Amino acid sequence: MLREIGVERFDDLLEGVPEELRSTRSLDIPGPLSEEEVSRRLTELAARNRPRGVLLSFAGGGVYDHHVPAAVRAITSMPQFYTAYTPYQAEVSQGTLQSIYEFQTMIARLTGLDVANASLYDGATAAAEAALMGLGITRGQRVLVPSTVAPSVRRVLRTYLTSSAAELIEVPSVDGRVDAGALEKTVQEKDVVILQHPNAFGLLEPTADVGAAVEKRGGLLIASVDPLSLAVLKPPSEYGSAISVGEGQSLGLAQAYGGPLLGFLATTRKHVRRMPGRIIGATVDSQGRRGYVMTLQTREQHIRRAKATSNICTNQGLMALAAAVHMSLLGKHGFRETAVHVASRARYAADAITAHDGLSLRFDGSFFREFVVETPIPAAVVRSELRGAGICPGIDCGAIHPTLDRCLLVSVTERHTKDDIDQLAAALGAMVSERGSS
Amino acid sequence: MSQTARRGSSAVLEPTIFELGVPGHPGHALPRLDVPRLEPQDLFDADDVRDEPPALPEVSEPEVVRHFTRLAELNHHVDRAIYPLGSCTMKYNPKVNEELASLLGFTGLHPDIEDADCQGAIELLVELSNHLSELSGMAAVTLQPPAGASGELTGMLIARAWHTAQGDPRTKVVVPDSAHGTNPASLTLAGYDAVETASGDDGRIDVDAFREVVDDSTAAVMITNPNTLGIFESRIAEIIAIAHEHGALVYLDGANLNACMGIVRPGDVGFDIMHFNLHKTFSAPHGGGGPGSGPVGVRAGLEPYLPTPVPSHDASRPAGLKYFMDRDRPESIGAVHGYYGNFLVMVKAYAYILSNGGDGLRRVSEDAVLNANYLKAKLAPYFDVSHDGVCQHEFVLSASRPKALGARALDIAKRLLDHGIHAPTVYFPLIVSEALMIEPTETESRRSLDSFVEAMRSIAEEIEDDAEALHRAPECTPVGRLDESKAAKELDVVWENGD
Repeated sequence: MLREIGVERFDDLLEGVPEELRSTRSLDIPGPLSEEEVSRRLTELAARNRPRGVLLSFAGGGVYDHHVPAAVRAITSMPQFYTAYTPYQAEVSQGTLQSIYEFQTMIARLTGLDVANASLYDGATAAAEAALMGLGITRGQRVLVPSTVAPSVRRVLRTYLTSSAAELIEVPSVDGRVDAGALEKTVQEKDVVILQHPNAFGLLEPTADVGAAVEKRGGLLIASVDPLSLAVLKPPSEYGSAISVGEGQSLGLAQAYGGPLLGFLATTRKHVRRMPGRIIGATVDSQGRRGYVMTLQTREQHIRRAKATSNICTNQGLMALAAAVHMSLLGKHGFRETAVHVASRARYAADAITAHDGLSLRFDGSFFREFVVETPIPAAVVRSELRGAGICPGIDCGAIHPTLDRCLLVSVTERHTKDDIDQLAAALGAMVSERGSS
Repeated sequence: MSQTARRGSSAVLEPTIFELGVPGHPGHALPRLDVPRLEPQDLFDADDVRDEPPALPEVSEPEVVRHFTRLAELNHHVDRAIYPLGSCTMKYNPKVNEELASLLGFTGLHPDIEDADCQGAIELLVELSNHLSELSGMAAVTLQPPAGASGELTGMLIARAWHTAQGDPRTKVVVPDSAHGTNPASLTLAGYDAVETASGDDGRIDVDAFREVVDDSTAAVMITNPNTLGIFESRIAEIIAIAHEHGALVYLDGANLNACMGIVRPGDVGFDIMHFNLHKTFSAPHGGGGPGSGPVGVRAGLEPYLPTPVPSHDASRPAGLKYFMDRDRPESIGAVHGYYGNFLVMVKAYAYILSNGGDGLRRVSEDAVLNANYLKAKLAPYFDVSHDGVCQHEFVLSASRPKALGARALDIAKRLLDHGIHAPTVYFPLIVSEALMIEPTETESRRSLDSFVEAMRSIAEEIEDDAEALHRAPECTPVGRLDESKAAKELDVVWENGD
């Protein structure tokens, strides 16, 4: 090959790389390992973790342990999907394009909004992108965020707004829910308001009051929603949300130590040109046959550069496919059934746990899939002690708010059996009564 | 693709999933409900309850699987044939990495369990960061950014935090006119103004012009090296020195790192911040547009600004707790992802790095450079190369001459699809007219490269004979050329028929 190129040695191909910049030593990186050896190493690392099945876990807060039907992985493991690139050449990417179009449709149907994009990195970055999009629409300078929005979302939002002129304002909560009265007093024209529903404590927010307050003041409402909850709860379109975002992990993705996840973003037709990220649209080919392309690309970085609606390029395409397959497998009926099972098990779990003396629900109000349990012992201690019993009882709410360091956010899915839940309740009950008597 | 290619006149290749199935299909079966069943109206206020569940498809599993399998057959992909998409590094994705990333010990981990229950995961993150540090010569690496553009934003926010800490926040960032579109978009998102600097006739940054635009208000300079023409910026040391004289930081867009592993370490050259693309250089598959992973490396002194939490190791801690997530980072720019980034992509990249080892990674880059130069030499008789001389891992052709004959870069790209080959990146970089940007990667055999050359040769011949014929391309793909302006004008982005 060197001869064909017209050089004698490989180093001749590096003529543009100044000698003094070249590395003079080998890289200190172990390997090469054979397939057997690399498998041994990775398997050994995996064995040093305690995943679901080994650990009986009730951790949620955005990432949940749902059953993923085998067919989801069968489809996403097809090299036609996972070894393809972003569908720049539409004529040989119709599979990717149509499946994302179907995903967009499903997200629009879940949220009740007109249009959805092809995905964003995760629910947290989706909320941040939505806030920037909202500010672009209203030309406002303030983003109002209730303290009931998940900390992961608040953190990323803060980072994305670091360099913008916009101000991030926290809205107080009462009994674990946004204080709609305080919100109404705070919100001004052009403000962007982010509401998480159900919220970081698992509770349903007063969506109608919040929606009315924001509308009355001329603000713009972004709803951050749990997609599964939309099987049974009113869609954001019905309480005045102009943009809706969320974390799609519960739509057929593994927990995967928090990534890859799936951010989604939906909005009204009016705002479609302000959306961040890829959008797939239907059209026809030279012979009038239906086909799909990436559309409205003049919003995007590769065309608009510094004036793009967002810098996003690579998104979470394969995760959007997984979600489309998952929602198709569950179907309209199965999706609702899953939500009903989850909500029923959550209610059962709350009752089973609070049946023990010393354990109570921190907040009143209805919840969908997770709830906050108050214990007399710091949550960090509870978590650490139950490790021995192979249980993760939930998330330490001290991470959500420092005053809640004796609270656990307990989440259940359709996978948690009555026995699993009873085991958690008994372990928590035993721990509390032991402490009480000592 | 074979069965559906040349399918002919049917108006629809595959109906939408919404058109399949029958109303009332129960869907995927759930485990028996062994607690009391409560309906939404038992649990929630009537005002909160949705009247009708969302109209998801009502199809059986076989119908779902067949639908998506038929869709899959419409895609070109790396496992099928060469995918020489410039700047995208479409290399083969080793199968063992997929298998390892699907181990339950990785997939079944909740991100908020105790550190003691995910020691293996944190160890993997720490080791991967260390390997990327060694490879790049950067002092520390964060794995959190979930894609390259997110890495760019992270890097720009680190630059902003550093300048702010110096009491001099600054306002602008300089980018060459050959830069990826994400560069100006990311620096704008970080609150800076983009200032372009021109490339010279040799395709490299014009150092004199560069000197003119850099001043004391410059926060950073974003450079892609090798640049998007596949040319190494041989005066990079001088460029970096100029930037540093003005107190600006120099950022490396690592999209083209596949040309450099083991050959040049960006940290040694003087770069202050850089990002990696694990889904390019480190063989993690692209998934039809993601998930990616865009780690960011920084030089000594910038570590305090890295996103939080930082996967860490402390040998003095007790056994079983030596690896931990460090959340106590007061100077951090904050979080750029809800958790730790695209973890499973990192698992694949880690397996790839170990499979190759240090010397193997150098060989990867050497082979990538060799393949690109081979292809360039073999194509030169048929098409104009943007710049003479050797290239690194990619190169750019210009279709200006064919355009004069009536066939544009787009037509050539579409005709390549008829040859069963994915098209190169077209109309980028912007500084080459009718650009075709070609990156073969190291995993293509000589035979595969030759088949690409043969396809290009026959297209060159066709242009000479009848350039207009290329306007009909592609003719052997599942659909013909698609009407993009109709898509934008008559926006149809959700399926609404039959609601």
